[in-house]
Parts: sequence; C-alpha cells; structure tokens
Amino acid sequence: MDVITRLRKRRRGGSGRNMLALALLLPALLYVLAVTFYPALYALQVSLHDTTYFTIGRFVGLKHYLRFLSEPDGRNNILRSLIYMGASVAIALPLGLFLAMLLNKPIRFRVFFRGAIIVPWLISQIATALLWGWLVNPQYGPIPYLLLQVSGVQLGLLADPYQAMATLVAANVWRSFPLPTLLFLAALQAVPQDMLDAAVVDGATGLRRFWYVIFPVIRNTALIAFILLTLHYFNMVTLPLVLTGGGPVGATDVMTLRIFREGFSFYRLDIASAVAMVVFALNIVFSLVYVKILRAEPLY
Amino acid sequence: MTTMSRHRFSRLADQVMTYGVLSLVAGVSLFPILWGVLTSIKLPGDLVTYPPRWIPRSATFVHYADVFLDSNMGRYFANSTLVSALTIFLTLLIGSHGGYAASRGRFRGKNALLFVILATIMIPGISVLVPLYMLASRLNLLDTYLVLVLIYTAWQVPTVLWFMQGFFDAISPELEEAAQVDGCSALQAMYRVILPLTQPGLAAAAILVFVYVWNEFIIALTMSTNDNMRMIPVGLYFYISQFGVEWGKLMAAVTVAILPIVVLFIILQRRFIQGLTSGAIKG
Repeated sequence: MDVITRLRKRRRGGSGRNMLALALLLPALLYVLAVTFYPALYALQVSLHDTTYFTIGRFVGLKHYLRFLSEPDGRNNILRSLIYMGASVAIALPLGLFLAMLLNKPIRFRVFFRGAIIVPWLISQIATALLWGWLVNPQYGPIPYLLLQVSGVQLGLLADPYQAMATLVAANVWRSFPLPTLLFLAALQAVPQDMLDAAVVDGATGLRRFWYVIFPVIRNTALIAFILLTLHYFNMVTLPLVLTGGGPVGATDVMTLRIFREGFSFYRLDIASAVAMVVFALNIVFSLVYVKILRAEPLY
Repeated sequence: MTTMSRHRFSRLADQVMTYGVLSLVAGVSLFPILWGVLTSIKLPGDLVTYPPRWIPRSATFVHYADVFLDSNMGRYFANSTLVSALTIFLTLLIGSHGGYAASRGRFRGKNALLFVILATIMIPGISVLVPLYMLASRLNLLDTYLVLVLIYTAWQVPTVLWFMQGFFDAISPELEEAAQVDGCSALQAMYRVILPLTQPGLAAAAILVFVYVWNEFIIALTMSTNDNMRMIPVGLYFYISQFGVEWGKLMAAVTVAILPIVVLFIILQRRFIQGLTSGAIKG
C-alpha cells in the first residue's frame, strides 16, 4: 500500500479521532457545569424560598429580591459596588495604557521596569489588604505620616467614609494595574513601526499619532481590558472584606460583602442567594453590553 | 535655538519623563512589599515608632522564628503546596486533552459545546459560594483537600482549555499525519509528537493555575473550619484576629506567603506574563 492511500484511509477513519475528541470534551463539560452551572441554579432556587439555616422552607417568589432592591441598605450596596468598580477602572485602564506606551519604547532596564510593575499582580488580595492595612495604619503607618507632612492634616484613611473608599480603590488599583499594562504592552507590539515613522515624517504630533496610528490597533484590547477589569472589580470579595470590612458606616459595603455576610455571618442563605443572583444578573448585563459594543463597531 | 538642538532638547526631556515616570511607578509597585519585608525584620521596639523608622537599626529573624515555631504556618504552607500541585495536575490533564480535542476534533455541536464551557467563566465565584458550601456540607466534603481541588479545577479548566486550544491550533495537523504515516496511532501521535511541542503553553498554564490557587482566599475560607486544613491565605486572615497587633509577625507571615510566587516570577518572567494575561474575571 502506498503512502497516499494509507493516508486517505486514515482520513476516512478520522471519525475515530472525532469520537475521541467528543469523549474527551464531554466529561470536561459535565464536570465544569456541575461545579458552576448547577450551583448557580441551586442558588436561584434557594433565593426564591425562605430558609432557616440549611433548611429550605416555603416558596416566596421574588420577596428577597424586592426587599434587597427596595431597602436603603441594598441600594447602598449597589451604589458602593458601582463606585468601587467605576473609580478603579477609571484609574487603572488609562494608567495601564500610559505605562505600556512608556515600556514599549526602546529603553534600558526594560526587564527590570516591566518586572517591578508586574509584581503587585502576583500578590494575593489578602496579602494586599494586610500590607495596605499596615501602610495606612493611623498610628505607625508611613502613608498617614507622609500625607501629614505634605498636607498638614491628620487623615483618617480607614475611619472617614470617603477616605476609606479612596484607600480601598488605591489598594485595588495598586494590585491590578499590571493587568491592563501587560495587555496593552502585548497589543502595542502589533503597531507597525514603519507606520509610526511615516506618521512622524508626515508631521503628525504625539496626540494625532496616538489617535490615528496606535489607537485603532489597540482598540479591541482596550475593550477586552475594560471587560476583564470591570467584572474582576465587581465580583471582588477578599480585598474589601479584609481591608475595610465594608466600613466605616457602610461606606465600602459592596454587594459581594453583603452576600458573604448574609451567608456566613447571619446564615440567611435566602437573602445571600438573592443578592448573589442580582450580582450574577448584572455580570450578564455587563457582558452583553460589552459584546454588543465589540460586535457593533468594525475594527478599522 | 537651532532646530537640531531643540530636537535634542525635546528628546532629552522625553527621556527624563520616561525614566522618571517608570522609576516612580516601579517604586510605588515595590514599596508596600518592601515595607512589609522591612517590618518583618525590625526589632520589636522599632516597629511601633512615630515617626516611622524607615531603615531598621539592625535585622532580626525573631518574627520568622515565631511564624514557623509558634504558629501553624508550616502546615498551611504544606496544604497550599499540596492543593496547588493536585489542581495544576488535574487542570492540565483535562485542559490539554480538552484543548487538543477542541483543536482537532470535528463533530456536530463542537462550537456550542466549547462555548458553554467557556461561558461558565462568566458565573461569578461569589454567586455560587453559598450553594457550593451547602453542597459540600451535604456531601461531607468540608475540611478536605478534595473539595478545594475539585472547585479550583472546575473554575480553571475553561481558561486553560481555551488557552491550550490556541497552542494546538498553531501546530500543523500535517505533523500528526506524518506521525501516523510512520505508524503511530492517533493517541500516540498526540502524546509523542504534539503534546511535547506545547510544553511552553503547559508551563504558562501551570503558572496561571498556581498563582490562582496559591492566592485564592474566599473558597478556602468557606470550605475549611479545622485549623489543620487551612490554606496560607486563610492562615493569614486568622493571624489578624489571633495576633492583631503583632505587626512584625504578621508581616513575616505575609512575606513567607508571597515569597514562592515572587521568586518563581523572577526566574520565569516570560512564562508568567503569558499565563497572567489570560483569564482574570473570577472574583
């Protein structure tokens, strides 16, 4: 038998390989669904009932949802989540782009700068919370001390409602700005150097060069970074839980903290599940809006 | 000023700005960590001073001795290592086979199936925390390594599968066909010819999973009640309540917790960057 016919036979027998592919993917799918989709359905079911500890009681429809959405605490949770998410992304995304453009230049010590800038992303949220808790410690922390020297005002970085949110956002941006920086840095590699040179020859200034040459290439990356960051911030628990615990007076009490508290401090699994479903629903809304934006506009 | 020298001047200003900003940002990035490490080696008397003492008068390792001798940190470290290793193994096993199947298989509904797997990334971890806790409690899985490995793996498989599919896509199918002509079966061709070529991808995926498991807190906290079953982040959390004001000891523990990842990063910067840029949604 010559090589060609043997190959043809193999190709026709390729259905064996396809069965193998299905056999490999199907268990993976079932397993992943069992640990993600099934619990989500379970949470939906719990959220529609009254619960006492672990016992599911009678069906109450949307009672827990309506209560959460109508009470001041619930609206405060939603507002705090949006402020935390919005402020963090509004700082981290432009900062990441700016740093990526600097790192993309032919500079010395690039590996050092890039490495130093990535390190915070490797630090866990809990370690970030503990490090920052010590940095802003009102008695011995270096940051309140330095701010006092500069401004002459004794700040209450975790005691004042506005300052606590600002501190939380600062710690969050510190940990997460490496992600957009890395994404933009990768995208900038795709900007053709000769196009930049041509733009310079044509007399394009920095801003125009950015807008007409660089921005079209990195636009999709900017959207993807925006999606990743907003969802990451919105779903975050650990950093706010450990750094501020939602305080003072609810100033940093984001939705995810409410879920955690209702579920594991008060054992109100019904309320916790209802808020969890609202968070899930908002995730879907955000994603759909993003997908729509991504699809709607052509790349160039 | 001539055009030439003005050009040179603006270049110089540009350089000063670039290096100035990068140095500032690098400093801000490293300072909180550096401050923690400095705190961990300060003499107890130097810790709580006003104004803060920037440079320690002398170094001490007494806080590290406390961490390892007086607390359960050794056990937490072992737990985190074991759960990380098991999760990396299982995730890579499922993710690489699945990625291969996704890249090479042709069957009806494949795209829908892959879409559903990937879409599970969009389910936020916090939204399924309560039901996972109820299920784990009902199945008697609380305080086991198994429950952590199972949850972490399920949450990382979609990203890793998708990531690996990209690596397989980049390898020409002719390579397997050639191997099959030489007498390999489809499976042999995959294991002996294709999989070794994806080693850089597997390494990056392993790093992605390692960083995730090593740093994950909320699942680890919820699923463990027994001190001996705690992972490092949970151990750190209970340090605050146990040793609230002992900042030296706490910062020594934080340093121990972040050291493995930072050291690995310094050795393997490129693989890290590959792994870190994929997948970061789950709270």
